[in-house]
Amino acid sequence: MTTSKEELLNKLSECVLEMEDEEVVDVAEEYIEAGYPALDGIMEGLVDGMNKASELFEEEEYFVTDILLCSDAMYAGLEVLRPYLPDEEEQAAKPVAVIGVVEGDTHDIGKNLVKIMMETAGFEMHDLGRDVPAEEFVNQAEALKAQLVCISTLMTTTMSGMEDIIELLKERGIRDNVKVMVGGSPVSKKYADDIGADGYSVNAVEAVRVAKELLNIA
Amino acid sequence: MNEKERLKKALHHEKTDRPPCICPGGMMNMITTDLMDRSGITWPEAHLNAEMMADLAQANYENGCFENVGVPFCMTIEAESMGAKITMGDRVHEPHVTEYALHSVKEWEKIRPMDMNSGRTKVVLDAIRILKSRNLDVPIIGNITGPVSTASSVMEPVIFYKELRKKKEDAHKYMELVADEIIRFARAQIDAGADIIAISDPSGTGEILGPKLFEEYAVHYINRIIDHLQAEKMGVIVHICGQMRNVYAQVEMIHSDVLSFDSCVAMSDAKKHLKKHVLMGNVSTWTLEFGKPEKVEQLAVKCWRDGSGIISPACGLGTKSPLTNIQAIRLGIRKATEEKVEV
Repeated sequence: MTTSKEELLNKLSECVLEMEDEEVVDVAEEYIEAGYPALDGIMEGLVDGMNKASELFEEEEYFVTDILLCSDAMYAGLEVLRPYLPDEEEQAAKPVAVIGVVEGDTHDIGKNLVKIMMETAGFEMHDLGRDVPAEEFVNQAEALKAQLVCISTLMTTTMSGMEDIIELLKERGIRDNVKVMVGGSPVSKKYADDIGADGYSVNAVEAVRVAKELLNIA
Repeated sequence: MNEKERLKKALHHEKTDRPPCICPGGMMNMITTDLMDRSGITWPEAHLNAEMMADLAQANYENGCFENVGVPFCMTIEAESMGAKITMGDRVHEPHVTEYALHSVKEWEKIRPMDMNSGRTKVVLDAIRILKSRNLDVPIIGNITGPVSTASSVMEPVIFYKELRKKKEDAHKYMELVADEIIRFARAQIDAGADIIAISDPSGTGEILGPKLFEEYAVHYINRIIDHLQAEKMGVIVHICGQMRNVYAQVEMIHSDVLSFDSCVAMSDAKKHLKKHVLMGNVSTWTLEFGKPEKVEQLAVKCWRDGSGIISPACGLGTKSPLTNIQAIRLGIRKATEEKVEV
C-alpha cells in the first residue's frame, strides 16, 4: 500500500524542520516513485518545513545553527525533486538578486541565512561570497540584470563599503535599475537611509518581506 | 589616581573618582585613519612590526583617545599561527582570513601548534614587551580571539556551526585543542607584560548558537581559558557580541571580571540581569563614526548612569571615525565628573 500524498508532504516538511538531511532523501524518492507532482513536494513539503523553521527562528526557539541544518535538509530534498519539475516550472521567471558581504569582511553567516530564506521564498540568488569589492557587486548586478542587490556586513570597520557600492551603481548609471537592501548587526535603518539604500532588514526572515515589498511581489 | 590604578579598582568593583575610558584592541579595534595620520604609522605595516605596533598603540593614548594601550589590532593572529591564510588588508580594512586550514572538525589533529617565537605571534609579544619597557601610567591590554571565533577562522564557519551539533565528540576535541593553544598565547602575553587579557568572541554569540550550544561551547571554553591564566594579572575582560536576552543566565557563568557588549544591549537591562560582573561599554560605534562629538559625550555619560563601570566603544571602531568623536568619550565623562564635584 502506498502512502498518501498528504502524509508524504507532511513527512517532507517534518524532515526539514527536524534537520533530517538523510531521511529527507528517502522520503523525496518515495514521493516521486508514488507519482506525485514535484512542485507540490517542493512547495507544500520542503518549503513548508523551512517556513516553519523560520517561524521558530523568529520566536527565538531556533537559532542560526538550527536554520543551517534545516536548510541542508531542504537542499538535499530539492536535489531529488528538482529534476522532475516540468520545464515551464523550472524556467518560470524568478526575481533575480545578487548577494554578498562587503570588502574587508569575511563574516558571512548572516548573508548565508538571508540567501537561504530568499531562495525558499522563490528568489534566484546569486551569491558573490564574502570580502567582495564594490566593483564586483556592480559588475555582477549589471551582468545578471539583477533587480535586487543585497549587501551585508558584520563589522563597523567595513560598513562604509556599502555606501561605496551605492555610489558606484550611480556612477555606472544603473542605480535606478536595482533596489539595494542592506543588513548586518552594525547596520541600522537610519544608516540605510543615510547612505541611500532602498531597504533595511533586521534579520533574515524580515529580509524576505522587505525584498518582496521593494519589488512589489505579493 | 593614575589610569592604571583607576582601571584596577574599576575591574574589581572598588570605588574610583570616575569610570576609566578604555578600548582594548583586538576585535575591539581602537585604531583610526586619523590616528595613523597623526602618528605617521599606518596599517597594514603596523600589523607586522613590533615597534610600529607599540607606537601606534601608544599614539591612541597620547592623543587623548583611551586610557590604555592594547595590541594587536585584529583577530587573526591565532588563526594564522594555527594554519589559516590571512591577507593583511590595507589602511582601512583589518587583516582577515582568505583560506581555511581545516574542512571538518574531524581533522582536529591537523591544527598547527602556535609558535610564540616567529611570525605575528612574536610581533604581538614583542610589542607588549616594548610597551612594558616604557613604564607607562596606562594599563597594557593583551587581546586574544575567543575560542569559537578562532575555531571558525581556522575552518569554514558554516560547516563548523553545523558540526557543533552533528559531530559533538570531534567538535569538543577540536575546541579543546584551539582553547589550549589560545591559553599558551594569552599566558605568553601576560609573561611579556600584559596587565589585562581581553577575550572577544564575536562568532560565539547566543544569537548564533542559542542558549544550549552557547553554554556548551562558548562559555565552557572561554572559562577554560580564563581558569588557566596566571593569577598575577590585573583582570580579564570578555566581550560578547549580539543580543543577550536569551543568554543572560549563561553569560553570568563566565569567569571574567568584566563583561562587555554591543550597543544593541541596553546597559540598564544588562545591569538588571547581571549582578556579579563589572559591566563595560557600550558607546555606539555608529555614533562614533557618523555622529557629532556632543552626541558621543551624551552617550558616554548615559552608559555610566545606566550602570557601566568601564566606558568603552560597543564594538571595534570604524577606521574612518573622526578623532574628535573618539576623544569625546573621555571628554564627556570628565565633564560629567566635574559637574558632580561642583554639586
